[in-house]
Amino acid sequence: MKAPIISLQGVHKYYGECEPRLHVLKGIDLDVAEGEYVSITGTSGSGKSTLLNLLGCLDNTSNGAYLLNGRDVSSFSDDELSKIRNEDIGFIFQSFNLIPQLTVFENVQVPLLYGARSISSTTDLCHEMIESVGLSDRSEHRPTQLSGGECQRVAIARALINDPVLLLADEPTGNLDSNTGEEVLALIDDLHHQGRSVVMITHDPEVANRSQRRVDLRDGIIVEAGAA
Amino acid sequence: MIPQKHLELVRMGLRSLVGYPMRTVLTMLGVVFGVGSVIAMLALGAGAERELLKEIGRLGIQNIIINSIKPEVPDTSNQRSNWISSYGITFKDHRQIVDTIPGIEKALPVHVSKKTVWQGSKRVEGTLYAVTPEHLDMFQLNTSVGRNLTHLDDEKLSRVCVVRSGMLKELGIYQDPIGFGLNIDKETFYIVGVLKDDSFLGYARKALSVDAKSSEIYVPYSSALRRHGTRSITRRSGSSEATDVELNQVVISVTDLDQVLVTARMLGSLLERNHPEKDYELVVPLEVLSQRQKTQQVFNMALVAIASISLLVGGIGIANIMLATVTERTKEIGVRRALGARRHHIIAQFLTETTTISTIGGGVGVLVGIGLVQVLTFFTGWSAAITLSSVALSLSISMAVGIISGIYPARRAAGLDPISALRHE
Repeated sequence: MKAPIISLQGVHKYYGECEPRLHVLKGIDLDVAEGEYVSITGTSGSGKSTLLNLLGCLDNTSNGAYLLNGRDVSSFSDDELSKIRNEDIGFIFQSFNLIPQLTVFENVQVPLLYGARSISSTTDLCHEMIESVGLSDRSEHRPTQLSGGECQRVAIARALINDPVLLLADEPTGNLDSNTGEEVLALIDDLHHQGRSVVMITHDPEVANRSQRRVDLRDGIIVEAGAA
Repeated sequence: MIPQKHLELVRMGLRSLVGYPMRTVLTMLGVVFGVGSVIAMLALGAGAERELLKEIGRLGIQNIIINSIKPEVPDTSNQRSNWISSYGITFKDHRQIVDTIPGIEKALPVHVSKKTVWQGSKRVEGTLYAVTPEHLDMFQLNTSVGRNLTHLDDEKLSRVCVVRSGMLKELGIYQDPIGFGLNIDKETFYIVGVLKDDSFLGYARKALSVDAKSSEIYVPYSSALRRHGTRSITRRSGSSEATDVELNQVVISVTDLDQVLVTARMLGSLLERNHPEKDYELVVPLEVLSQRQKTQQVFNMALVAIASISLLVGGIGIANIMLATVTERTKEIGVRRALGARRHHIIAQFLTETTTISTIGGGVGVLVGIGLVQVLTFFTGWSAAITLSSVALSLSISMAVGIISGIYPARRAAGLDPISALRHE
């Protein structure tokens, strides 16, 4: 097995300053290997979202270590976490989260604004990305002029623009009908086959079954982890 | 970071301004009118100051003018006869000034008298200025037609004069006025030149005792003195009054500008000794100018301060709208943060937007101000001067307003927790 791209070791997460604190994650151990496609399932309140926030470097762990690509990011500062999010993680959200006043092209460009590369040197890359999700003819459109499936494909192009080590999808089909949902999932499958590491959060067992491995979360602990 | 990236950030910031044009325009309005009024006030202030300089500067800031004035209660002991009132600067004073006070380039004597001027059967009331040729140069009394008075006129005691064009019509002279003879006190003075039409204004008129109602007639000093003497009689409803003033005015030009005030002090003490009855006044244009300028500047400051209040209100308007925008765009901020924007990127974005709004607002405000000045000057006849520095000042202030009013909203936006911002709907 290859070296894990993600390694959570005894991760706890509390919320609140004073006792009794809300204990959301109660000792999570999880490894995701490079190129692996893992889905995390669980009912609401199981700690899925909290786990996603930690994996996405939007939050720090209260206890335990989070090794992303071999680096312990659990004590990183806000700026360092921003850099990680920018370079190493590609987000796909349930509600797409495109910026409404920007065009498709500009939306795909947004992560580049916060990175080290110059904008002019990456114009071609943006076009390539948009082409790879099949939206070349839409690059000057606004998100409001696109269908849900198209929006999600723009979001995927945006997630991939900085060539992240991890693709993090949060209910990517939650707002889509089954046909377009299928398209998006097929796109994610393709990315997996191209060797990308994917972690997907979902409550839908069918969606979860497409991954290589399912991790079931209940009340802040992993109760079932195995091949899907 | 590469500058081009900043440009890109600015471009994206502009995008959200263009996305909501109505809101952007309304946000801008405060700054537009703020800057507009500051520009207008500064222009009016500068105009007033320029007018002041034109008015008093014409007297020459290197000059000092001594005027004889009639004392309130005539000192009877100084009168040569009981029906002639005699006062003011004397030839002796003039000589003493020239002989004892250092640093004086010229001390030009002037004799002023009210005369009735006849030309044929037509007559006007005029003021006869007996002056030396230098006097005309000093106060830029240039002729538009004919020639000016010369030293030769003075030496030869010629009976020539230069006049204001205004009196010609009243005297019925419509054709070329050169060579017409004007009868003044039984003597005929021939017109050799007509002065350009730029009368003295405001303070300068008072300082040179130029009467607005009667036309000025300039004649060679020596000619007038020889022909008319220093006495003059004015008839007033039944009674007549005779005065004997040797010199109505002495215009002194100081060689060194730095010495003007010192010279004025020396002149003051000399005249005070000779004239305890205070039948003279000392006019120092330099002093008057700086006093008036000081007053004008205080007034300008007050105007600009008042105008600045609207600029302040404009800034508060921007801050207010931006705060509302932060709430409205919480989700966007969350998304940007998730995609790797650091706090300073968010701050930069909001500051860019506020600064852009206020700078464009400032630019429009400058135009509004210029328009306002045009309208004001057109309808009121006030003088105004839009200076480059006032434009630069207003633009930089409006830029600063943008930055300052953006700081708080920007910090608030940057301080949002990315997770809850992302969840925000």
